[in-house]
Amino acid sequence: MYRYDEFDAAFVRERTAQFSDQVRRRVSGELSEDQFRPLRLMNGLYLQLHAYMLRIAVPYGTLSSRQLRMLAHIARTYDRGYGHFTTRQNIQFNWPKLKDVPDILADLASVEMHAIQTSGNCIRNITTDQFAGAAADEIIDPRPVAEILRQWSSLHPEFSYLPRKFKIAMSGSPNDRAAIRFHDIGLQAVANPSGEIGWEVWVGGGLGRTPIVGKMINGFVPNEHLLAYLESILRVYNRYGRRDNKFKARIKILVHEEGLETIKGQVEAEFAEMRGGVLTLPQEELDRIAAYFTPPPFEELPATRIDVKREKILDTAYGEWLENNITSHRMPGYASVTISLKPVGKPPGDASAEQMEAVADLAERYSFDELRVTHEQNLVLPHVRIADLRTIYNALVAEELADGNAGLITDMICCPGLDFCALANARSIPIAQSISERFASMTRQKEIGDLKIKISGCINACGHHHVGHIGILGVEKKGGELYQITLGGDATENAAVGKIMGPGFEAEAVPDAIERLVDAYIGLRQNPAEPFIAAVRRLGEAPFKEALYGASERAA
Amino acid sequence: MAQVNALPRQHRPDPLRALGVVALNGMFDEMDALGVLRHAVEEILPGDVAIVSSFGADSAVLLHMVSKVKKDLPVYFLETGKHFPETLDYVETLKTRLGLTNVIAIQPDPADLKRFDPNGDLWETDPDSCCHIRKTEPLEPITEEYGGWVTGRKRYQTVERGVLPHFELTSDDRIKVNPLAHFSDADVVAYRQEHNLPEHPLYQSGYKSIGCAPCTSVVAEGEDPRAGRWRGLNKKECGIHFDFNGAIAKPMVAVEKHRLFKDGAFIADPFHDWGEGDDAATAHYTHVPLPVFLEHRETFLANPHPLGLLVSPGERIEDVKDDLQRFASVAIKFPAFTDGRGYSTARLLSERYRFAGEIRAVGDVLADQIPLMRRCGVTALVVTHEPTRQALAEGKLAEVAIFYQPVGLTEVPVGTRPYLRRAG
Ligand code: HEM
Ligand code: SF4
Ligand code: SF4
Repeated sequence: MYRYDEFDAAFVRERTAQFSDQVRRRVSGELSEDQFRPLRLMNGLYLQLHAYMLRIAVPYGTLSSRQLRMLAHIARTYDRGYGHFTTRQNIQFNWPKLKDVPDILADLASVEMHAIQTSGNCIRNITTDQFAGAAADEIIDPRPVAEILRQWSSLHPEFSYLPRKFKIAMSGSPNDRAAIRFHDIGLQAVANPSGEIGWEVWVGGGLGRTPIVGKMINGFVPNEHLLAYLESILRVYNRYGRRDNKFKARIKILVHEEGLETIKGQVEAEFAEMRGGVLTLPQEELDRIAAYFTPPPFEELPATRIDVKREKILDTAYGEWLENNITSHRMPGYASVTISLKPVGKPPGDASAEQMEAVADLAERYSFDELRVTHEQNLVLPHVRIADLRTIYNALVAEELADGNAGLITDMICCPGLDFCALANARSIPIAQSISERFASMTRQKEIGDLKIKISGCINACGHHHVGHIGILGVEKKGGELYQITLGGDATENAAVGKIMGPGFEAEAVPDAIERLVDAYIGLRQNPAEPFIAAVRRLGEAPFKEALYGASERAA
Repeated sequence: MAQVNALPRQHRPDPLRALGVVALNGMFDEMDALGVLRHAVEEILPGDVAIVSSFGADSAVLLHMVSKVKKDLPVYFLETGKHFPETLDYVETLKTRLGLTNVIAIQPDPADLKRFDPNGDLWETDPDSCCHIRKTEPLEPITEEYGGWVTGRKRYQTVERGVLPHFELTSDDRIKVNPLAHFSDADVVAYRQEHNLPEHPLYQSGYKSIGCAPCTSVVAEGEDPRAGRWRGLNKKECGIHFDFNGAIAKPMVAVEKHRLFKDGAFIADPFHDWGEGDDAATAHYTHVPLPVFLEHRETFLANPHPLGLLVSPGERIEDVKDDLQRFASVAIKFPAFTDGRGYSTARLLSERYRFAGEIRAVGDVLADQIPLMRRCGVTALVVTHEPTRQALAEGKLAEVAIFYQPVGLTEVPVGTRPYLRRAG
């Protein structure tokens, strides 16, 4: 895992001091809220419905137990005892006081963390595969390059006041678990014909009110030139991205309006100037950073099969947890564990201080002190011995973190919605809760299989509803809250934006509507191995529309 | 007779005094300049009034009246160091002729001259600042000593002065006395002839309004007499001439502090903004908007004066890349601090085109963005935001002084930008 050197530590210290000064000037009235807003945003501080919200960067979703314990400490000391893990692998606290923020930042700095650029119109936290460095299907570990991008983008003087926020995601595996095609820039590791590893660059993807699947702008950029290439894209965007309309300011609109070829021409012209210049990344530096990510001292273990069937007979809940929450590891005898933060009936992504501490202990003892945050708002212990799984499970049960629903219908992504968010049209957490109560039966969940439901409280789509196999979007209609349902979205390498099925439903009617879709799928699937999304692709939307609204509606 | 008592130096305007001054204006016949002056000197402000005279083309009339009322009234003369020798001769002539015993020359602070105008050409680049150090600064301590001032201003002189009264109250509660308010050009000439007063030696040569030599030119027939001052410099009036309602009591140059921050200090700015009537052939020390430059490119290139360029967001610095060496300064406009396009422009200018002149940020320039601007190549800042000015003046910008990215041209030591470390 990356460790700050003297330079990184000094950088965060200075930045914290700078922001503390800005907070002081705001509190004293020297800065107006207008002048303070972009400054606090660049330090992760939002003004929400009820209070300030502080979002803390978890670079590419990687945490140590010490860091997670500090987050627990912050939750307990400055907040209401819990934190919320986000879809960008960060954590946010919903109730800090402005005057405490400098102290929180100082606490964070003591464990090599910060809130820099977790909001504002700048380059945000770089996200990646939660199984990076562990996944069996990985081409390369994306974290060294992610760390270099983190450094390159930190307080970049040219790109601190972009037209709009800018998000970069990377995937080191061909199975995209980081939704790179829905980011401003997505980086997909690929090997060129001579076996060299580089990056496919995707640009202009995004969700929000205009969901667009990114387009490939370059099929192979070697590590050496990656920074120059990204800086070229950013410069074109900074100069030509729209600033007249906040809703059209993302790079996806620029690419969409100007056309990929035009943008590509401008980017390539910039790149021709910058290529080979100061941004060239020397192999030595890449190696130096990569050294921080050398695999932990794995034991030589025999390959171990987990006999899920047998375990299920012995202990159903444990068996199901094994079946759903364990991902295969590239080392024999090891596995990655997904800790679900989606217990039935609780806000998705929330963890209490006690839970964080318990998970930190588990990571320290069983996972080489490493932890990950997933963009699906779960936690991961990336490197655990299969032999330790039962012990870990038991500890999780004690903390109410042992839900075996990873990847299942109740493992939803859900934004904070009207309960916390100033922009929301509708509540989203209660919707998630009512759905998970409806599908609480594990037998039923297993029968349904892989199904991703994603819920956003408004068109800003923080809950990624566009890429939910089933997406739910809260809208405001005549003062009431209605929920629109979309179908067929997919965040992976088969990227697709879900289609709106029709008129919205009242909150109480949503679980029924989801159940009708699920029943239709079960009735129509070729066999239990055909997942929901595959069936939707094969059958099209018609039968599902009919299930939702009935035959007459369809005819109308 | 309405009476306004000797002036207590108070800062809050007193409505009664204001009324008194208004009443005073009704007391005198329009042309009774001498009566006005005498009343001011003897009744309203005894021992507490003085006059500043330019010893210009028609200063003689008022000074003659002064000599009738009180020969030892303090008469200040701004010896700016830039006067025509003829003016200096004229001071002596009038002094002797009128028997004025209290003419006091006040001079600029030599330290100021050395610092701001070492070559004596500030008048060309920045007349506001030149006037400031040569007139306003030296006069400031003296204006505070008196409760009132006599001026030679006349209604007819410029369009803006059409309603000048005999008595005015300034916002800092001083009384301005304008005995000649109702005099016309012809009245001045008639008075001069009647009393056989000497003419300014340059009057016959066509100088109707005479100030410092560099800033005075001949006025054409029928032209506003003051049109000869600051011809082409877009500078018409100076705050020192206090307006009629007393709203502006301070010289404008004192209100408008130096806004250009460069090399660690706020300094006089030789440049001014491009204005409506500016001409591509004669403009100088002006930041020409990029589209205007492109439109009149040939003319600007033939113009021999120093020029600057103004680049606003959305304009492409590439479009003038071959002409950049023509500019002494490029101003990059930040219309709002949230508009980051200027950063790219600055980097292109300094890094790609190696522009060596001044790169200045103008517009919404605030403390928290300045460090970023500097890293992108900005070398000068035009700042109006008061807390930012203070932070700059005190050297107290909150900034992060170490960076990750290689931005800018200066080499950063190995070890400060991790990924840039190179083997060998
Ligand atoms: C930016 C600064 C200034 C400008 C633009 C300016 C402008 C002028 C002009 C155009 C005249 C000619 C009037 C004429 O001859 O008809 C003049 C005269 C004069 N100025 Fe200034 N001036 C400035 C500063 C000052 C200052 C600081 C003082 C001191 C209070 C001052 C006092 C006078 C006086 C007493 C006259 C002579 C009026 C007369 O002829 O009796 N000026 N000034
Ligand atoms: S999707 Fe809308 S309601 Fe939900 S968190 Fe984002 S802005 Fe708020
Ligand atoms: S009138 Fe001209 S020379 Fe005299 S002080 Fe002003 S700018 Fe300088």
